[in-house]
Amino acid sequence: MDGIFLQQLINGLTLGSVYGLIAIGYTMVYGIIGMINFAHGDVYMVSAYLAAIGLALMSFFGLHSFPVMILGTLIFSVVVTSLYGWAIERIAYKPLRNSTRLAPLISAIGMSLILQNYVQLAQGARQQGVPTLLDGALRLHIGEGFVIITYTKIFIIVASIVGMGLLTYVIQKTTLGRMCRATQQDRKMAQILGINTDRVISYVFIIGAAMAALAGVLITMNYGTFDFYAGFIIGIKAFTAAVLGGIGSLPGAMLGGIILGVSEAQFAGLVNSDYKDVFSFSLLVLILIFRPQGLLGKPHVAKV
Amino acid sequence: MSQIYRKGILALAIGSALSFSSLVQADVVIGVAGPFTGANAAYGEQFWKGATLAAEDINAAGGINGEKIKLVQGDDACEPKQAVAVANRLVDSEKVKAVIGHFCSSNTLPASDIYDEAGIISITPGSTNPQITERGLTGVFRMCGRDDQQGVVAANYIVDTLKAKKVAVIHDKDAYGQGLADAMKAQLAKRGVKEVLYEGLTRGEKDFNSLVTKIRSSGAEVVYFGGLHPEAGPLVRQMREQGVNAKFVSGDGIVSADMVTTAGGPQYTKGVLMTFGADPLKSPAGKGVVDKLRASGYEPEGYTLYSYASLQAVAAAFNGAGSTEGEAASEWLKSHTVPTVLGEKSWDGKGDLKVSDYVMYEWDDKGKYNQLP
Amino acid sequence: MTQTSSSFDIKVILRDTFMVGLVSLILFGPIVGIVLDGYGFNVEPQRVAIMVAVVMAGRFLLSVFGQTNKGRAWIESFRRNDGGVHVLPPGYKSNLRFILPVVILVAIALPFLANKYWLTVVILCLIYVLLGLGLNIVVGLAGLLDLGYVGFYAIGAYGLALGYQYLGLGFWTMIPLAAVMAAVAGAILGFPVLRMHGDYLAIVTLGFGEIIRLVLNNWLEFTNGPNGVSAPSPTFFGIEFGRRAKEGGVPIHELLGVSYNPNATMIFIYGVLFLIVLLVLYIKHRLTRMPIGRAWEALREDEIACRAMGLNHVLVKLSAFMIGASTAGIAGVFFATYQGFINPASFNFFESVLVLAIVVLGGLGSTMGVVISAFVMTLLFEVLREFGDIRMLVFGVLMVVMMMWRPRGLIRISRSGFAIRKGVAP
Repeated sequence: MDGIFLQQLINGLTLGSVYGLIAIGYTMVYGIIGMINFAHGDVYMVSAYLAAIGLALMSFFGLHSFPVMILGTLIFSVVVTSLYGWAIERIAYKPLRNSTRLAPLISAIGMSLILQNYVQLAQGARQQGVPTLLDGALRLHIGEGFVIITYTKIFIIVASIVGMGLLTYVIQKTTLGRMCRATQQDRKMAQILGINTDRVISYVFIIGAAMAALAGVLITMNYGTFDFYAGFIIGIKAFTAAVLGGIGSLPGAMLGGIILGVSEAQFAGLVNSDYKDVFSFSLLVLILIFRPQGLLGKPHVAKV
Repeated sequence: MSQIYRKGILALAIGSALSFSSLVQADVVIGVAGPFTGANAAYGEQFWKGATLAAEDINAAGGINGEKIKLVQGDDACEPKQAVAVANRLVDSEKVKAVIGHFCSSNTLPASDIYDEAGIISITPGSTNPQITERGLTGVFRMCGRDDQQGVVAANYIVDTLKAKKVAVIHDKDAYGQGLADAMKAQLAKRGVKEVLYEGLTRGEKDFNSLVTKIRSSGAEVVYFGGLHPEAGPLVRQMREQGVNAKFVSGDGIVSADMVTTAGGPQYTKGVLMTFGADPLKSPAGKGVVDKLRASGYEPEGYTLYSYASLQAVAAAFNGAGSTEGEAASEWLKSHTVPTVLGEKSWDGKGDLKVSDYVMYEWDDKGKYNQLP
Repeated sequence: MTQTSSSFDIKVILRDTFMVGLVSLILFGPIVGIVLDGYGFNVEPQRVAIMVAVVMAGRFLLSVFGQTNKGRAWIESFRRNDGGVHVLPPGYKSNLRFILPVVILVAIALPFLANKYWLTVVILCLIYVLLGLGLNIVVGLAGLLDLGYVGFYAIGAYGLALGYQYLGLGFWTMIPLAAVMAAVAGAILGFPVLRMHGDYLAIVTLGFGEIIRLVLNNWLEFTNGPNGVSAPSPTFFGIEFGRRAKEGGVPIHELLGVSYNPNATMIFIYGVLFLIVLLVLYIKHRLTRMPIGRAWEALREDEIACRAMGLNHVLVKLSAFMIGASTAGIAGVFFATYQGFINPASFNFFESVLVLAIVVLGGLGSTMGVVISAFVMTLLFEVLREFGDIRMLVFGVLMVVMMMWRPRGLIRISRSGFAIRKGVAP
């Protein structure tokens, strides 16, 4: 029994760290310009395609060693996806910067439709996949039962931690990070102090897309399959995670992702996987009723 | 992009041709309805390829009562709301005399009502939900079997050949998948085997690890999955990754080369079992058609030949009845046997095939499926 | 950059064009040029070349246009920020008020002119008008972003289908009952979430809508799950409109002794729906001029000020939620009877988004705008059918372009002004 519990915990952790990585894109964009970037899930979807294309190109050019393949794919996917993030912001959101609150939301929904159908037209409607890169698993015996952790899962958890660490460093220690934080706190003031806030907002979209690309490569490696519609469900879940953790907060996004992933896995394991989404949404509603700003979010202070 | 561009032009051309078609009534207009966009667009393409080739061949052989067949596309994107709009459009604007479609059972159900109300016959090449022909509609037929027939074949195989005592039943909470899983479960119960697990997963998700852990702890020897390949692939892969070596059995929803791609390679799909109609590609009657499609660079996968055969049945009924009137054609179909690319087919009073030819298939280590002896 | 000079700066134009070309090459190169096929790929460079060329040409033309005076003025027009509600002068009469009788005449003539296909499309339009009007109260007037609106729609639709199946309730009973049921659900949802702000509310309502759909999908014994349930056709005092009587009534063509008209059901639904839409429009029109309507708008603009003024914000928000929800419930009943069969797939998140898009595109708070945009969106969906594959892509592009062109929607919200009567102290 304890073996099963531990296995579900690991299942939840891998799922949760993936949610967390995508949630970062939502939470950063929301923190800085206060909009829900609905197209973010589809940015992840694009990055999954890029990951598969990267892998296919690598093996075509005869590069078969795992570190080279994964690193090359990662760089390829992160660079191109970041450019997508930048271009989307430039085309669909920047012209609406001073508009009503809902205009960028609708524009984002339109962008999400565009991305989905663009990829469908370019790559076809069929399911895509990548071959298994990292075979094998760790097998731990615990009492009667046993726990199996595939190397891919270990890789995912490690890579997410590294990615998060890198991001935290950038935000906390570098000039770019300071500019981001300043813009987030008070955009007008930051502008007065000489920060090019338009550029900072572009950087935020690029960072969000890069994290989504990291998630895209990791998820593609782990599950091996995706389609042009893959961004939708995972986007909603990641968004839920971002809100759960307190939207606008980076550690909150990761925490929200992990809580969501683990509770989903445990509920599916112990009760019923039919109702696991009902459970996670109910959990969200409950947490927000008692903590309307999310777990790590700052309470909303109304300014008069 | 050029291809897309050309497709767009083609669509425009078809569109404008359609608006003219209502003026020129010399042709017999037949609708092909299914998902041409959306997640299931691949199946719509199979329908269209099969039907266009059939129309060409039938027209070359003299058409229907001397008139040419003209095909019209109706896209429902597998959304019931759109299916109703498309069905009405086909009936009223395009004045179709018959419809080949739809694909998703949840779309065929409301759409066939509209066709029947308008007195035209519809044949679905791929909707297997039993309800479709159970509602007392006169002009609804299907070219495939029913979920309950398919489920019975699978259950008998699990009990007789695999001799399994512990069976986990998983479905995708969709009309097709759950219907299939329930039919299988019912037959299992009749044979005295009770399932150890019965759960649904969510379509569109890729992480089924927690479900797999549950399967593992249930100690199932056989896992039966009612659903389509986008979920079947990751499910079987995650089972193997977690060391669950139970036999994986599923239905005709995984009949696609993409099953291997989604599972992460043939090492995972090896030994996967499924039920499917006796291989249409191997039917002697269909050899010429298969060769023709392959020559044009199209592999006639899945439902292509079913769609071809559906149009053959429509043409035969119209020719046999001597008119394109729905009631007469329906009566004719129910009392005659039609030679199709899938072999000789005949229908019972409800519109189901009299003989269902579901057999077991097994996937091999090269990512191909073969009929089991 | 060179904003003051009026001459062409060809260097800037070329540089822009080149940069855009480079970016689009990186963007389109992998996705469009390398098509995955199993674990391998096919290369299609000509598709990339065409797309990059198109984008570069577009950018070139735009740059050239941007350097002319007219172009500058055009670009400048995007920068201006015309915020706020504009107030009409007192005694203002819209030039459009003569439109209403014309619209009603067209509506009455429609069943005699249109075929069944167009009739069904118009019914769908009217259903979306109802949904849009309801959501407009919640989002447009009260300023509560609701992403789970489709849940109430589902309650109405399933109310009819299940009410008929289990209790034998018909179309007419369900219209008021669905409104009440949806309103109660709106209150149940609204009460706990009123403390939340803006986007937290959005995600909670999204969760609520998904919960309703998932329960409908999973509760097999009651709702028949994904297989769906069939919904009854409408009847009118025992008269039925189908070819054969199904509910023990008399088919209308037998009663009147005329030949069977396959459009009869749709014409009847259309007629009732049109009357209901007119009624809702009227109620909505009155509500916005009543204290409650003013309170919604005031709360949207500044919650703290409203509470300081002594407005009961809980009551005001709840009433918006409930009235909005009940409208969706009625729309659901019509959807179910029009469709004849419903399953949970019709009530997914995209539907909520579509209704929200209708409201925002129409102009938040603007009744006329919502009606127009509901028709435009639904008709667009049908018209774009001709485009086949690229339909949804065009739809998405239009959404983005619309927001750039008219970020405040088609029709801006306006409020009628009142003159101070003479002899009354201001």
